[in-house]
Amino acid sequence: MGTFKMYLEFSRKSFQRAAAYRFDVWTRIVGNVLFLFMWGFIWYGLYHGKSSVEGVSFQAMLGYILVSQALQGIHGAGTPLWEIQERVRTGDIAMEMLRPYDYTTRMLFSDFGGIAFYFITAIVPLYTVLFLVLNPVVPTSLVQLGLFVVSVILGYFIRYCIELTFGLFTFWLVETGGVEDIFYFSISLFSGSVIPLWFFPGWLEQVARYLPFQAIFFIPNSIFVGQLTGPAIWYAFMNQVIWLLVCYLILRLVWNRASMKIVIQGG
Amino acid sequence: MSLIEVNHLYKEFKIARRQEGLGGALRSLFHREYSTRMAVQDISFAVGRGEMVGYIGPNGAGKSTTIKMLTGILVPTSGEVRVNGLVPFQERQKNARQIGVVFGQRTQLWWDLPAIESFELLKQVFQIPDARYRQNMATFSDILGLEEFLDTPVRQLSLGQRMRADIAASLLHDPVILFLDEPTIGLDVLAKERMRKFIREINRERGVTVILTTHDMNDIEKLCRRMILIDNGRVMYDGELARIKEMFGKERVLIVDLEGEVNGFSIAGAEVIKQEGNRKWLRFNREAVTASQLINHISEHYEIRDLTIKDPEIEVMIRHIYEKGIGSYEGACL
Amino acid sequence: MVQSLLRGIDMYLYMAGASIRAQLQYRYAFVMNILGWAMTYAGTAITMWVLLYSFGALEGWTFWELIFLFALAVLSWGVCMVFFFHFRSLDQYIVNGTFDRFLVRPVHPFFHFMAMKFDVGAFGQFLFSIVAVSLAYSSLHLHWTWQWLVFLGAVIGGTLIQGGLLVVISAMAFWTTRSERLYWVVMWPFKSLMNYPLSIYPRVIQVLVTFVLPFAFVNYLPALLLLDKTSNNFSPFWGCLSPLVGVLFFWLCLRFWMLGLDRYKSTGS
Repeated sequence: MGTFKMYLEFSRKSFQRAAAYRFDVWTRIVGNVLFLFMWGFIWYGLYHGKSSVEGVSFQAMLGYILVSQALQGIHGAGTPLWEIQERVRTGDIAMEMLRPYDYTTRMLFSDFGGIAFYFITAIVPLYTVLFLVLNPVVPTSLVQLGLFVVSVILGYFIRYCIELTFGLFTFWLVETGGVEDIFYFSISLFSGSVIPLWFFPGWLEQVARYLPFQAIFFIPNSIFVGQLTGPAIWYAFMNQVIWLLVCYLILRLVWNRASMKIVIQGG
Repeated sequence: MSLIEVNHLYKEFKIARRQEGLGGALRSLFHREYSTRMAVQDISFAVGRGEMVGYIGPNGAGKSTTIKMLTGILVPTSGEVRVNGLVPFQERQKNARQIGVVFGQRTQLWWDLPAIESFELLKQVFQIPDARYRQNMATFSDILGLEEFLDTPVRQLSLGQRMRADIAASLLHDPVILFLDEPTIGLDVLAKERMRKFIREINRERGVTVILTTHDMNDIEKLCRRMILIDNGRVMYDGELARIKEMFGKERVLIVDLEGEVNGFSIAGAEVIKQEGNRKWLRFNREAVTASQLINHISEHYEIRDLTIKDPEIEVMIRHIYEKGIGSYEGACL
Repeated sequence: MVQSLLRGIDMYLYMAGASIRAQLQYRYAFVMNILGWAMTYAGTAITMWVLLYSFGALEGWTFWELIFLFALAVLSWGVCMVFFFHFRSLDQYIVNGTFDRFLVRPVHPFFHFMAMKFDVGAFGQFLFSIVAVSLAYSSLHLHWTWQWLVFLGAVIGGTLIQGGLLVVISAMAFWTTRSERLYWVVMWPFKSLMNYPLSIYPRVIQVLVTFVLPFAFVNYLPALLLLDKTSNNFSPFWGCLSPLVGVLFFWLCLRFWMLGLDRYKSTGS
C-alpha cells in the first residue's frame, strides 16, 4: 500500500504541475476543437442527403466522432513521445534507474495527474456542452455507459504500452524520424480514431481487426454509439484484454533490455 | 571629442504584475497591472578613443541594459547616447559596422558548422574586402591559435576555443569599439590569461576601444586603468582603478589560524570580514593600529598557529563601495 | 539599390549553402526527415481514400480531386517551409538571448533571420506533392494550357500567404515570448482544415479564410478554377488572385513583424 501511495504522489505532482502551467494545458484544447470541427463537417458533408450509410445514422457518427475526439484529447495529455525519446537520447533516463520504483509504472501515474487536470478543467466542461447542444447518439443505459468506461480504460493502457515501447526503441535507433511517422499514421488510421472500421474496404478492415490499434479507440467508440452490443461486446473485451497482455509483456521485455543497456553501457 | 558619450541616460521597464489564482489569471487576459522598474537611471559618462574601461556591477545592476543601448539593441527611455557620432538605435545598421560585440555566454557562431564557415559568413555580412579579411584572419590565427580548430564544428570546440573564435569573429570587420560581455566566464586560468593578453594587444596595437563587463576582478585589474561601477542603475564610481587602490591602501588584512576551540571571536581595532572555521580574516587600518599591536592583542586571548598579512583584494574594496558608498569610505579614511 | 539587392542575394545564397551543409552533418536524420514528411502526407492521402471508399464523393469532390486540392496546399507549404519554417521557433532565440546578435549586424534583422535557415527537410513535401499532383493530373485527364500560369500563381501566392502567417506567429514572440506552441496549436490545425474543400464548412469560416486569413487562396480557390469546378459562393476566377493576395498579405505580416521588433527594442525581452 505504501508503494501505491508513492506512485500516487507522482500523480499529485503532475496534477499540480499542469495547474501551474494551465495556459499551456488549455491551449491544447484549441487544436482539439479545431480538429473536431473539421471531422464534424467532413462527416456532415459525406452524409449530405443520406440518412444512414451501412446502417449507421449521422447522429451515431456524430456521437462517434465527438467521443473519439474527447478520448484523443485525454490520451494526448500524457507525456508526449518526443519527451521520452529526448530523455533516452540525453541519458537522463539513467537517473530513473537510481530510484526505488518501476519506471513504466511511475510514468503511468505521472500521466494520470496531467490527464486528470486536463480532463476536469477542459474536456469535461467543453464536451458536456457539445453533447448537449449537438444531441448525438449517446449510451442509452447505465450498463452501456459502464461497459464503455471499462473499454476506454483498457484502450488507454494499450496505447500507453505501445507508445512507451516505441519511445524506448530510441535506445537502439539513433533517429526514429521516418519510423515514427508510420507509427503515428498507423495509430491514427487503424485505431479508428477518425474513420470507424466499418467504413473501411473489406480487406483493410480485416487487416485492422488483427492489429492492436483498433482496441484503443474503435472498440470503446463503437460501444458508446451502440454499434457494438450483446455478445460481441464480450468478444471485444477479450480482444482488448489479450492485446493489453501482449503489449504489456512486450513493454516489460523492451524495458528490461533497455535497463540492461543502461546498466552495462551507461545509456 | 569622446568616442562614446552617454548623457543622463534612463531606461525604464514595464513589468506585468502576475495575479494570483485562477481568477487572477483570467483577469490578466483582459486587464494587466504594470509596475515600472528603473534599470538605468541618470547614467552619464564619456569614453575616449583607445581607452579600455571596465563596466562592472552586480547582477541586475543595469550593465547589460547599458551595453544594449550602446549597441542599438535597446531604445533608451530618455537621455542621449552617441557612439562615434552615431545615435545607435536610430542608425543601428551603420553603428553595427563600427562595433564588435561578444556575449560571453552565447556564441555568435554557427553551432553545427566549422568555425571557418561563420567567419566567411561575417565577411559577407560586413562586406569585408578580401585582402583585409585574409590579413585579419592571418593575424588572429597567429595570436589566438585558431588554425588548430578552424575546421572543427563549433559544437565540438572547448569553451576556451569557442571564446577565441568568438572574439576573432567580432573583430573581423575592424570595429572601432569592442563590447565584451563576460569574455572570460567559465574559462580556466590559462585560457583566461590568453584571452586577456589578446584583448590587451588588440587595444594597444589596433587602438580598439574596449568596454568590458565582467564579474572577474582579475580581468579588470589586468586590463583596465579605468572602471565604471554601477549599482541599481546608477553610477557609483567612475575613475581610475589606481585611485580606489590608493584609498584602500591604508588597509591591510590579517589572516590568522587559531588553535583550539574559538567562540565569538572579536578584536578591538579590527573588523572580522570573513571566517572559515579557525581561520579569520581581519581588516585593519594601519595608521590606527600596527600589525604587531594587533597580533599582540590576539595572542593575549588566543593561541596563534599561523598568520599572514595581505593587501586587500580588489573584490573586497568593491564590495565595500557597494555596501557603504564611496563617500562614506573617503570620509572615514581622511 | 541594385547593388544592395545583389549583395542581399549573395548573402542569402551563402547562408543557404551553409545551412544546407549544417543539415547534412546529420545525414541519416536528414534523409529520415524527408521520408518522414513524405510519409505523413501519404498517410493523410490514404485516410482520404478510405474516407471516400464508402461514400464516393465529398460534396461533389471525388478522390483524385481531393488529392489535387490537398497536394496543391502541400506544394506551396513545402516552398514556404524552405524559407520560413524556422520562424516558428523565434521564441527560443528571444528567450535564450541569441536574437540580439541579429541586431548587432549591419543587415536588416528580418532578412538576416530569414537567411538563418534554408530548410531542405521540405523536400519531403515536394516529393509527395509532385507525385500526387502528377497522378491526379493524369487520373482526372486534365489538359492545361494557360492554367499552368494559375497553378504557378497558386504556388507563389500560397507560399507568401502561409509564409506571412508564420511571420505573424513568430512576431507574437516579441510580445508573449511564445511562438512555436502557437504554431502547433493554432496554425497547424487551421491549415489541416484547408486540406478539405471549403464548401463543407459553414459560411462564417468561408468568409474568414477568404478575407481575414486568406487560406482559401492557397488551394481551394485556385483548385476550383484548375479543376473546372463550380461553387455557389465563388466565381472560379477568384483563383487567379492568389499571387496578388499573397503579396498584399505578406506585406501586412511583415509590417506586423516590424512592429513587434520595435517593441522588442524598447523592452528587450
